[in-house]
Parts: sequence; structure tokens; C-alpha cells
Amino acid sequence: MNRRILGILGLLTSAALATSLAVVPGAQAAGGTIVVWADETRGPNLQKVMDAKSDWVPGYTIKIVTYSSFDALKAAFDKATGTSGPDVVVAANDWVPTAAKSGKLAPVTLTGSQKAQFNATQFFDLSYQGKLYGVPVDINNVAMIYNTDLVKSAPKKFGDMVNFYKANKTADGLKAGLCIAGGGMSWGAHSVFSALGADAYFMAGSRPNYHKFMDPAQFADNVKTYLLDGNKSNGFFPATDTGCKDNFLAGKVPFAVIGNWEWKDYVAKGFTMNLMPVPSVNGDDGNMFGSVSGALLTSFAATHGVATGAKSLLTNFFGSTAGQVAYQKFEGRPPAAKGAQADASVASGQKGFGSAASLAGIPQIGAFLNSNAGGASYWDSAPAYWTAVLVNGKDPLVEAKKLAKIWKKNMLVGKSDL
Amino acid sequence: MNILFRGKFALIAKLVILSGIAAILVLLIESALAKREYAIALFLAVSLAALCYTYLSARTVPMKFFLPGLLLLFAFVVAPIIYTVVMSNFNYKTGNIISKQEAITQIKGLGVEPDANGTTFDIVVGRTPSGEYAILVSDITNHIYFLSTATKRTDLLSSQVKLNDVGVATAAPGFTLIPPVKLAGNEDYSKITYAYADKYFISVQGVDVGAVFRQSLRYNATSDTFQNLLDGKLYKDNGRGNYANINASGDVLQPGWRAPNWFSNYGKLFSDRQVRGPLFRVFIWTIVFAASTVLTSFAFGLLMALTLNRPLRGRRFYRSILVLPYAIPSVMSILIWGGMFDTEFGAINNILGTHIAWFQNATYARLAVILVNLWLAFPYFYLISAGALQAIPSELLEAAAIDGANPRQIFRKITLPLLMQILTPLLIASFAFNFNNFNLIYLLTGGGPKDQLGGQIAGATDILISYTYQIAFGSNTQDLGLASAISVIIFFIIAGISLYGLRKSKVLETFG
Amino acid sequence: MSAWLRNNLWRHAISLFMCAFALFPLYLVVISSFSQTGSLQLTSFIPRSISWHNYSLLFNSPAIPYLTWIRNSLVIAGSVAILSVIIGASSAFAFSRLKFKGKKLGIQLLLLVQMFPAILALAAVYVIMERVYRFASSIGLGTQAGLLLIYLGGAMGVNIWLLKGFVDSIPMELDEAAKIDGASPVQTYWLIFVPLATPVLAVVALLSFIGTFNEFILARLFLVDMSSRTVAVGLQAFIAGQYSRNWGPFAAGSILASIPIVIIFLSLQKYIIGGLTAGSVKG
Repeated sequence: MNRRILGILGLLTSAALATSLAVVPGAQAAGGTIVVWADETRGPNLQKVMDAKSDWVPGYTIKIVTYSSFDALKAAFDKATGTSGPDVVVAANDWVPTAAKSGKLAPVTLTGSQKAQFNATQFFDLSYQGKLYGVPVDINNVAMIYNTDLVKSAPKKFGDMVNFYKANKTADGLKAGLCIAGGGMSWGAHSVFSALGADAYFMAGSRPNYHKFMDPAQFADNVKTYLLDGNKSNGFFPATDTGCKDNFLAGKVPFAVIGNWEWKDYVAKGFTMNLMPVPSVNGDDGNMFGSVSGALLTSFAATHGVATGAKSLLTNFFGSTAGQVAYQKFEGRPPAAKGAQADASVASGQKGFGSAASLAGIPQIGAFLNSNAGGASYWDSAPAYWTAVLVNGKDPLVEAKKLAKIWKKNMLVGKSDL
Repeated sequence: MNILFRGKFALIAKLVILSGIAAILVLLIESALAKREYAIALFLAVSLAALCYTYLSARTVPMKFFLPGLLLLFAFVVAPIIYTVVMSNFNYKTGNIISKQEAITQIKGLGVEPDANGTTFDIVVGRTPSGEYAILVSDITNHIYFLSTATKRTDLLSSQVKLNDVGVATAAPGFTLIPPVKLAGNEDYSKITYAYADKYFISVQGVDVGAVFRQSLRYNATSDTFQNLLDGKLYKDNGRGNYANINASGDVLQPGWRAPNWFSNYGKLFSDRQVRGPLFRVFIWTIVFAASTVLTSFAFGLLMALTLNRPLRGRRFYRSILVLPYAIPSVMSILIWGGMFDTEFGAINNILGTHIAWFQNATYARLAVILVNLWLAFPYFYLISAGALQAIPSELLEAAAIDGANPRQIFRKITLPLLMQILTPLLIASFAFNFNNFNLIYLLTGGGPKDQLGGQIAGATDILISYTYQIAFGSNTQDLGLASAISVIIFFIIAGISLYGLRKSKVLETFG
Repeated sequence: MSAWLRNNLWRHAISLFMCAFALFPLYLVVISSFSQTGSLQLTSFIPRSISWHNYSLLFNSPAIPYLTWIRNSLVIAGSVAILSVIIGASSAFAFSRLKFKGKKLGIQLLLLVQMFPAILALAAVYVIMERVYRFASSIGLGTQAGLLLIYLGGAMGVNIWLLKGFVDSIPMELDEAAKIDGASPVQTYWLIFVPLATPVLAVVALLSFIGTFNEFILARLFLVDMSSRTVAVGLQAFIAGQYSRNWGPFAAGSILASIPIVIIFLSLQKYIIGGLTAGSVKG
């Protein structure tokens, strides 16, 4: 009995306590805060810019949230809802089709002068079904570098590199001739595919060309000529990217495709930024993906009541020359805006990648590359080709035909998502 | 000591703690209600009631032991499971992620079209004398200025407006500017479409930019349809989470929403060849993988336990080394192993003098996965086997030896059966763990190799959980509904296997 | 000599072989941590050069608050270990000693629930914590407290076999004596069971400590702020770069992070072996 009374007493106390404290804690951030999500490389750099100047949009506070990795950022964005999702996310351009299709992004409109700062293809990268979802921030691309201690003059054709490798393999103790140090065997290796005649798709101006596709027979011939010795790899081009960077830096590989986010590592080791596109078999340039990362406007911004401010953040900061100049001081990648590229503070490494991109860059069109209508996406099928032919000794022509079929289907089906 | 558990002091202490917890819960309930999170508020209220009843009444002794764990279990394990089961009955994939309400808002927002030139203006925001929002619009190249509200556009002469240093009008008769800094707190002004000309209106596209649009899709709430105002096409809810053209079902408006599709995800598992084929193959490999991992690591663990069961010089040293794989973060060790198996530069090929492409060949990749897991798991089995060996009464073994049994017979007839009796629940638990050993596969092989050129979706080392993860959260398209359905199936399989094992081993009988 | 051979040589041989197997990858980690190239040195067994660069990076770079991460990990894993032992042990005690309706069904349900592939339920956990965040920002998404609660969700079922086995092994007579003295089950639990079970509780605590210490899939979603991250999340970021992996600091950080665990392990060796199975055998 006693116990029960005490119990009731306890409850009453707690109720009283609770009511006295009944100030509902405000979980929502104060009005006018724009939340930007970014990955581990861009987040801290953005934070530095914001620390230096924070009033990119008058009246709004900008909060940068940095995820521990690009994967973590994607995992979180995939799960995010209007409750806690960001207002702006700095992401790869190939997020646009899926995220827009799922209603996670909101369209933006740019003025004529804002548009004039970018190439039309860059907008193409950030669009879905004719609507633009963000502004280009920086360029993500690769370029080929060669070791001037080994190679005295720039190769003109793909065959020059192969000949060099064969001639100096034993003398220099070479582990490979050309390898992919940055960007992986699908994204980074596109220039090698292209140099050998297999482009994921061809462009006609700034639009994709829906009538021209890779020729598997010609590509397979080139693979046989340049990469194979009988049905085995001749060692010139490894099927994986493991160890490529170290071996290049150690002087064991004369040519490497490197990513623009890590050129400083090469400069630190004493390499000059003699960057070039991968030369193709007939002396043209192998095309590389020049993707842009974009600051994308999310549909959550409207839920949070900061959509207008977020749009202004995109145009005033992310997509403006002033903003990109401020940002690229901390970032290794070349800025996307023309005005920012021309700025005096841009480093030679960034300039080198910028010019390589303008020589042989094709837009990275997520709608084609991410599509798996043909049975596999470009990302999955491209490395599979190298493995099949260079490692497992499969017939280059049979596999090339499969590849061509997959890519063609992906492009024609992906067309509807543009 | 007893005073802590008995008498007035204990009672008061209990009440103080309970009141404190109750106060926190009440506070949370209030906040949850304020934010309209009714389900969570209900759960918290039930928790509160249960806590008070359990710890204040003398009748609920077992509950006193369970309740905190049970509540947490419900909130973070059971509730997500229920959610997953529910989602397995939804069309919930890329393109159909948000709710219908959100989708309608989105489609409305997308259903506008810029005018032919993509005209944009510089604007400033303010109010009319009546308090209505208005924008003062400037075309700075052509020196055109006008004031626009939701209903009316008023053209102004250059002489009527005051320009700032870049030529944007900031003041005009009948217009009170709202300072830009003040606009940040409330963006209601941007939800209004401001009058422009004819069918066109100006929509706010940034704190100082307006763009000319016209409506291209109109939503009709009563009939729940969208109509394209330009070509007249009518879009209706197709019951599968999209507005579809009534004349061409393939023509749908994006985004869609997650809509119930009652068991059709489960149906896909059996009817869709694309899904069914790999699923079966992956299932077989999952069982092989989990079983061989448990067997090999148990065998090696037991071998080590037997080896070190008797005093041996350096036993402590050996033991310390053997548990090291257990102490290093497994993320680290798995990735290191991945590097060691590399074809060109890996230590394994280096030592063996081979040139095997471990992760490019199905058989080698599977061997590698099992080997790495052996390395990760054998210390655990060594520890439990060693403990179990010590627990076997030595009199039993001595008696057998006196009866003339040789060591091998003793091991087979006495030690092993006793060991198995002790360790079976742990072996079953380990099997269940490895059945879902996501980290290993994800970090080591990523499920590969797979013949993408041949259209394979699942890799040779993909186990059910990694395959499902790829379906749910893979980089290209995501199908959470289908993945949830597979999860539910995995759940039944593994639960069945484990329960069967437990029944068989009579472990459940100990719960009298 | 031949008896020694027969009895001990093969044991030394097997032990040495297995130790080599256990140490082999760890040795490579150590070498990598002293390498300056930032790559995994997997080709040579002799370090090309010894550099403390990676270690000094962990402590001197302002971008890498390594000590904060360690502290976070210790706090989170420590709290999870202690709380989950309390929750798990009391459940195990109830399942072993108390009589109540639906006990067998209860344990079966508990086991079933544990077997659901948790990684798929992740999306749901995220949604729940997102909603909690709306009204209680201190325990919702992005907070260590919220993550702690999620980890504790599984506390009841994990290790219940080890614990239950142990409780079973404590002679019933002790309980009965206590009962005659007028002790309630709660008192029996605290005054008799807990003191007796300390070794096994220590082991269970250690196991859950290690498990939590290593967890990164949930943690990287929930702990976004640089200063709230755990070691596992912080270190994983070094090697989760889109296309570049920085192994050096990762290896160095992992080695340092494992040292406390190794020390606990080695000093508790006896307990661990005893504790892991003491429970599994009926006394």
C-alpha cells in the first residue's frame, strides 16, 4: 500500500518536473540555414572558404557537413529524406539522373550571364529530362603523364608506347608500359578504350551521336596488335590499377593515366606535369571522360524553407567565378567556370588537366553509363573486358562484340533519361 | 550491501531513478507530439507505462530483468524489421522513393516551362501598401521596370524607380522593400507566382533573380490527375506509383512514389528469370561458404586447442600470437588480405611463385574468401575449444585411459562428443553470422568476379546479403522493395536452419 | 629424445606454422605503417625505409583528430560494453532461473530477431533516427547517444548463449539458500549471480567492446562531424577515397588502435579462455 502511494507520488513528481521543463527543444536548425553535404575531400575545403567569407547569400547561414568518404556521402544521401536531408549536395554528375528521377533534386534556372561561364556540355551532365539540377563546380578528369627520365619525347601514336615498352622492358626492368593510376579500370581507362577504337559513345558537337557506335572488329584487332602476344597479355597494359601509381613513381612504368585530384603527389616526387591525352592508334587523342562535379539543389531545401537561398548559394558561390576562384585555392581539381580557369592563381597541374580535358574530353553522360539495360552498366562491363581478355585469355573479338552490344543498348535505352 | 536492495532507502532510490527516467520520457513524448511524430510518441508512452508498472508492482518479476533490453530491442531491431517487411510489399525503387504527397508537389514544381528565350530578370522583394508580397522587376539591359504581385503587373517608367549602382531598381511608388537579410527567415514570398504577361508568370529563382515561366502541367485534386496544358495529355495514377498517360502506359511522369504492390516483389523472386537464376546460385554458395568457414575454422581452432592443451614450453607465447588476428580491426585485416591476393604485386603470388589472378577466377576467389575468413575466425574457435577442453572433467579421460582406450579412441568417443555438446550452440551462431557476413565479402571481393559481359548480375563470391545489398543500395539503380523481399526470405531460411539445429542439439530443452 | 620428439616437436611445428599464418598479414601492416609512399608494401618483406611520417601525421595533422577519434571509440565501445553486459546478463539470468510463461517461445523469438540481416534494416533505422532527430536533436541522427542506443538494441540477444550457459552452471542450491533467507530474485541476481559471474561478464564485455570498436557501417552514416567520429570511421576514410587510397596512415592508425585491445586480451587471457566456455558446461 505504502509502496503504491509512493509510486503515484513518483509519477506525479515526474509529471510536474516534465511540465515545468515543457519547453519543446527546437530540433530544427534556425531559419535561413543552408545545409551543404560534401565528401571528405571537398567538405574541408569548402569549410575553409566559408571560414574566410560567409556572406555569399545575405541573411543565410551556410553549414557544411562533411562525410567521411564519398561512399558514406552516397549511402547517406540515398537514405536521406526531407527531415534531415541536405539543401545542397556536392556530388558527381552521374548522381543526377537517378536522384532526379527519385524526386530528391529540384531544378534550377540560371540567367544568361551565369550560363555563359560554362560549357554547354557541362550543363548537359547535370540535366535530367531537359531540366538542370545544379551548377558545375570542378572538373574531374584524368590525363596521361610520362616519365621524362625514361621517355625522351612525347609519343605520337599508341604504337610508339608499345614499341618503347618492348624495346626497354628488360633494360629498364619495366613492370608495365601503360597503366591506370587514377580513376579505375572503367572511368580512368576510357581513354585507352578510346585510343584503341572503343568509345562508350560518340558525340556530335555537344550532343550524343545516336548513329555511330564502336566497331568491335577494329577494336579487337587493335587489342590483338598492341596488347596481346598470342592469346596472352604482352604485359604492356595491366588489367588492374593496383600498384600503378607506386610503380610509376618508382620509374618502373613509363606511362600512366593519373587523376587530377592527386597531381600534387607526382609533383612532390619531382615529376613535371607533362600531361597529354592517351594517343590513339592512328595518332588522334583517346577520349577521356571529363565529368564535372556539381553542387546540386535538393528538393529538401523547399521543405526546409530555404530553397530560394540555396538557389542563390548555387549561383553566387558554387557557380560563380569569384566562388570558384576562392574554392580552387584549396582544391587540386581544375575549376569548372571559364573565368576561374583563367585566374592567375590556378596551378600548373590544374591547367595541364584543364587543357587535356579541352583536347580530348567527352562529357560523362550518366544516363548511358549508369544504365544496365544491356545487361551491365559501362562501369561494370568495361573492367570485365580487360579481365576477360588480358587475364583469362578469352577471345578479344567475341568479348568486344559483347561489349559493343551492351554499350549500344545502354545508350539507346538511356536516351529517354536525358 | 543489503541496504541497497531492501527497505526504505532502496525504495526511495528506485523511485528517484524511475522518476528521473519518467520525466525524460514525458518530455520526449511532449516533444514528439509537438512535431506530430505520433507513432514514436505512442511507443514512448507505452514504454513509460510499462516501466512504471514493472518496477512499481511486485507481480512482474521476470519483466524487471527484461524490460530495458526489450524496449531497445523493439525500437532498434524489431521496428526496423517490421518496416522492412512492410517495404517488401511496396514498389520502392529508384524513381519510386518518396511519398505520393511529395511526388505531387515535385511534379507540380517541375510542370512549368520557361519562355522561348529563357528570360530572367533582376528582382527585389517587398510589399504593396496592402501588405501583399510584390517584386520590383528590372530588365537592366533594356531599362524596363515593373512591379508585380500575384495578380497584377504594373509597368513603371524609368523616372519612377530608384536604381542602385548596378542598375537594379530598388524603390518605386507603392512598394516597400524588405531588406534581403530579413527575407532569409521566411521564404513564403518565393512560393507565389508573380504576374507577367498572358499565360506567363515570374517565379523567384534566387534571392535576386526571377525567371519567366508558364504552367505546363496542371494538377486536378478532385480527379487526382495531371493534365499537360500544351498537348492535352492526361496522366492518371496507375496504381503502381506513377502518373501515367491514360493512352500510353509507358509515358509516366517523374518522380513516382512508393506504392503498395502486394507480394509482387516476392512473385518476382520466382517468376522473373533475371532475379531467380542468380538468387539460387548465390543461395547455394552462401551455404557452402558459411558451412566451410565454420568447418575449417573450427577444425583449425580445435587443432590448435588440442596442440596447446597440455603444458608446452612457450604456450603462453603461442597463445598470445594466435589471438592477434582477433584484436586487429577486421576492416584493416580484410583489406590487407585483399592487397595480398593481388595478381601482380600481391605477396601470395610472390611467395608461391605463381601468377594467379585470384579475384578474377571464380574458384580461386572462393578459395581466397574461405582462406581469409579462416584467418579471421580460427582464433575465436581456438579460444572456445580451449575453454571447452578445459571444462571436460579430467576424471572421465583418465577412467577411459585406465579402461585401455587409446588416445584416438578417447578423443573420438569421449572428448569430441562432449565438445560438440558444449559448442553446438556457438557453432550454429557462427554459421548464422557467416551466412550474413557482409563485411568480408564487401571489402574483400565485392562479390566478384562476375561475368558482366555475359550479363551476370551476381558475382561468384556474392552471398545472399551482399547480393541483396547490391540490389538495395547498388550504385546504379536501387530496388529496396525487392531487396526487402529477399531479406525476408533470407530471414526465414536462416531462422529455419538455426531452429532446426537448436532443436536437434536439444539446447532448447534446457529452457524448462 | 624420441619421446620428446613424439610428444612436443609436432606441437611446436603446428604452433609455429599457425603463428606464422596469423602474423603474416600483420607483419605487412606494420611495414606499410612505416612506409612513406602511402601504399601497401606487399611485395618485399624487408622494409625499404623506416619512416615515422604516418604516425606523426596522426598526431600532428589538425585535419586528423586521431586522439579525439580514439576517445570517442573508447567512450562509445566502453558504454556499449558495460550496458550490453548489464542488459544481456539480466536477460540470461531470467531465462535461466526464473519461471514464467512463454519462456521457450521467448528465447526462440529473441534468436529469430537476431538473425534478420541487419544491414538491410539499416534504411529503416536511419528513417527512425531521422524522425527522432526532429524532436530530440540530442539523441537522433548524427549523435553518439543515438548510435549508442542503436547498438544497445541488439544487446539482449547477443552473447545470450554464453551467459545463459554460465548461469546454468551456478548450482541451484545457492539460489535456494538465498530464497530461504528471504532474498528476492533481484537480490539473488545482484548479490549472488553477478559476483560469481564476473569473469564471464568481463569476457562478454570485451567481445562487445571489440565488436563495437570495429563497427563502421552504421557509424559512418551516423557520425558525420569530424570530431564525433570513431576510429573505425576516421580510418576508413583514408582508404575509402573514390579512386585513391592512403594506406600509410590507415595502417599506422589501425596498429595504434589495436594496441589497447591486444593488451586487454593478453592480460585477460586466462579469463577469456575460462570465461568463453565456463558457461557452456554444466557444473
